[in-house]
Amino acid sequence: MKFTVPIGPQHPALKEPISLRMTLEGEVIRDVDIRLGYNHRGLEKLAEEKTWLQNIYLTERICGICSHSHSTCYTQGVEKLMDVEPPKRGIYLRFLVAELERVHSHLLWLGVAGHEAGFDTFFMYTWRDREVVMDILEMVSGNRVHYAINTLGGVRRDIDDLQKKKILDSLGLLRRRTEYYLKIGANEPSFVARIAGVGRLSKEDALALCAVGPTARASDIPQDVRKDDPYGMYAEVPFEVATATTCDVLGRVVVRVKELMQSYNIIEFLLKNLPDGPVAVRAPRRAKPNEVVSRYEAPRGENIHYIKSNGTDKPERLKVRAPTLANYPATVVMLKNGFIADIPLIFAAIDPCICCAERAVTLVDGRSGQEKTVLMSELRRQAQERWKKVPPKKDAAWPL
Amino acid sequence: MRVAAFLPEILRHLFKKPATVDYPFEKLEVPKDFRGTPFLHPELCIVCRACVRDCPAEAIDILTVSEGDKRFKMVIHNDRCIHCAQCVESCPTTPKALEMDHLFEIAAFSRWDLKKEWDYVKAQVKPKAAAGTPPAEAKST
Amino acid sequence: MATLKTLLYIFVYPGLVFLFVYSTFCEWFDRKVYARLQNRMGPTHTGRWGILQPVADFIKLLAKEDIVPERADKTLFTLIPVFGIAAVATAMMLLPVWHYDLAQPSANSFSGDIIVLLYILTLPTLVFFLAAWSSTSYFSTIGGARVLTMLFGYEVPLFLTVLSPAIMAGSWRLAEIASFFQHKPLLLLPNIIGFIVSVICLQAKLERTPFDIPHAETEIVGGTFTEYSGKKLALFRLMTDIEMVAGSGLIATVFLGGFPGGVILGFIYFVIKTLFIIFLLSLIRALTSRIRIDQVINFSWKYLAPLAVLQLLITIVLKGFVR
Repeated sequence: MKFTVPIGPQHPALKEPISLRMTLEGEVIRDVDIRLGYNHRGLEKLAEEKTWLQNIYLTERICGICSHSHSTCYTQGVEKLMDVEPPKRGIYLRFLVAELERVHSHLLWLGVAGHEAGFDTFFMYTWRDREVVMDILEMVSGNRVHYAINTLGGVRRDIDDLQKKKILDSLGLLRRRTEYYLKIGANEPSFVARIAGVGRLSKEDALALCAVGPTARASDIPQDVRKDDPYGMYAEVPFEVATATTCDVLGRVVVRVKELMQSYNIIEFLLKNLPDGPVAVRAPRRAKPNEVVSRYEAPRGENIHYIKSNGTDKPERLKVRAPTLANYPATVVMLKNGFIADIPLIFAAIDPCICCAERAVTLVDGRSGQEKTVLMSELRRQAQERWKKVPPKKDAAWPL
Repeated sequence: MRVAAFLPEILRHLFKKPATVDYPFEKLEVPKDFRGTPFLHPELCIVCRACVRDCPAEAIDILTVSEGDKRFKMVIHNDRCIHCAQCVESCPTTPKALEMDHLFEIAAFSRWDLKKEWDYVKAQVKPKAAAGTPPAEAKST
Repeated sequence: MATLKTLLYIFVYPGLVFLFVYSTFCEWFDRKVYARLQNRMGPTHTGRWGILQPVADFIKLLAKEDIVPERADKTLFTLIPVFGIAAVATAMMLLPVWHYDLAQPSANSFSGDIIVLLYILTLPTLVFFLAAWSSTSYFSTIGGARVLTMLFGYEVPLFLTVLSPAIMAGSWRLAEIASFFQHKPLLLLPNIIGFIVSVICLQAKLERTPFDIPHAETEIVGGTFTEYSGKKLALFRLMTDIEMVAGSGLIATVFLGGFPGGVILGFIYFVIKTLFIIFLLSLIRALTSRIRIDQVINFSWKYLAPLAVLQLLITIVLKGFVR
């Protein structure tokens, strides 16, 4: 007999509000209904009211973990609009912070995966080692999250030799610990029993549903914006795209650990080959009317920003397509025919950053296919009218 | 697949000092470029209002107390500040009139306690060579 | 005089006050060891070394609002925690700490009391199931179903391994089993497989990692305890702690040679041996991750039950030689 269980909007497995309504039969999931919108903040509208420089700080605050991704994606796009070319040293420093952010995000994810599986010791150890990365970021940029190191035309701060040496020293510690975690994650029997064979997403399904990031790379699709469409200085840096063939949560763990090792190599290359020179150039206040699409490989997948300018000092439209939004349809396929006990793991395996994915919603009329935007006050008025006519039900069965 | 692969590691941790910092009895030191809260050196400010224009959170206000005496009042709303240090970067004077300090324990019980004010006379714009010496008639409080 | 003595036994020692103090101490020990294994500090600031932290948690829960869901069965919902405490407190009375006389059986030490103790220790699982069933929320129902499913996995190996030393000692009375092994300590060594299997089964009975699927926090919010709050939740947590002490006391009696030596020495042996077993339980908790319910049943019937039967065979073979 089927019954519907709500996971969310408030649930210990989720760090942010999202509603997954599961139709269950015993312990097996038959269908999933994903509902978004609990974390919508109106960022795209607010971006139209602020100048190009102030928007850097706004886009940074779309997310806490991948803050530098959004900031860099936006800054790259605006620099293209304004025809400003940042100096080499600025680009190297910008992507040094980007790779450090990738390291901290993947270590955070390893801990969260451990916690969802009940493996709290693993969670505590990975987060203890993540503190090393947070201290480096604080030393380089002045803050542990929301680094604010981008500016239009380059970066705001420089690093000296002492800081360079500190970063290179801690790389050794991080490399050792990451290899240890790979050994544990692949060998601890209770942990592997939880994550192997769970959340299968075949290669055809991943391609058809447009999965991005480590979710797609674990299904043996070597797709990475840094290799497919190199931005910044990634065309000169030697690294490999990490893939796995098992198509399940274990594959995603392996892909992220391999990416960690690649990031350490990239950071070492960037520090050893850091060119001299200025770190920023002056950028104008206004941009000519134009539109640009900027792509970036965030820790969670491909991040796309579309920016349109109309000649003033404020953008006309900013549209953000976060990677988690692209992974939601793949999640529905992964959850079907799984167990309840696997829900947190499968959902955590796509590394959900739900606040990144909350964007404007368009209403489509089901019969005529026409799109329209509705004012909030209008929706509220319609809802009040409807519920005035319906008598209150005592002892209503959920869902309504 | 080894049973109890983790065991030697966790037993070793029984004898190590915990990694936790016992805040508030022990505190960590912040690095030298840490972005704390902004504050003003009133004798250097030339009231160009670049910081007011560029602040993403509208956290700086400069009010005119008296136009003839060139007295101005700057209010920094620390409850709105997002600690990005864009105001420090936009300030055109040398040395900069705005600076970030290293305070991070700035919690208060009411947002009205977090506003800081400075009452001052606008500094004269000096050529770069003599920058740094406050002008003779500047009175700062 | 006898009634005064009985009242003292029931309320002070080894009754309710002693149980409260000792089980909160054991919870502190478990939390501190678990934290140190993970390189953290554990409870530190409430009382010296954080010893009063479980007591503080209990008092805080007593002060919280007590909500009864609208569709729950109110009588059962309210009385279940009290039944649970009664069951585990009775189990503690049957442990042979010092208030028994080896020569003559009494009300708390008689032939067959190992079976009664094992039966009373099954009651908490039934209490969890009834608590889940009377809550009538989706998460509790799933939790309750999981509690009973897990019962089918670990009960059989637990019973078999606890009964093997009884067979070797030739008696069904806990005090006599303990004294048999006190006189012949070398005979404890063949029981090592049974010791390991029974510690794992005790971890399953107490619903701790890796077997905490019935109240898995990240999946079904709280399982059995989702709808409980306030005083009833405080009593449930206390019940889990006392069950931990009672279970480790049982394993210490049967596998580690009991608590000889009268009032003071017996009490010291009790503390040391139960803390040793709780240390092993915390170690298992820090070492593994949670496994799914079908994997629990798989694991119990593929590994634990055959090992328990093997232990039984070893005991029977050795008994022939020992005689």
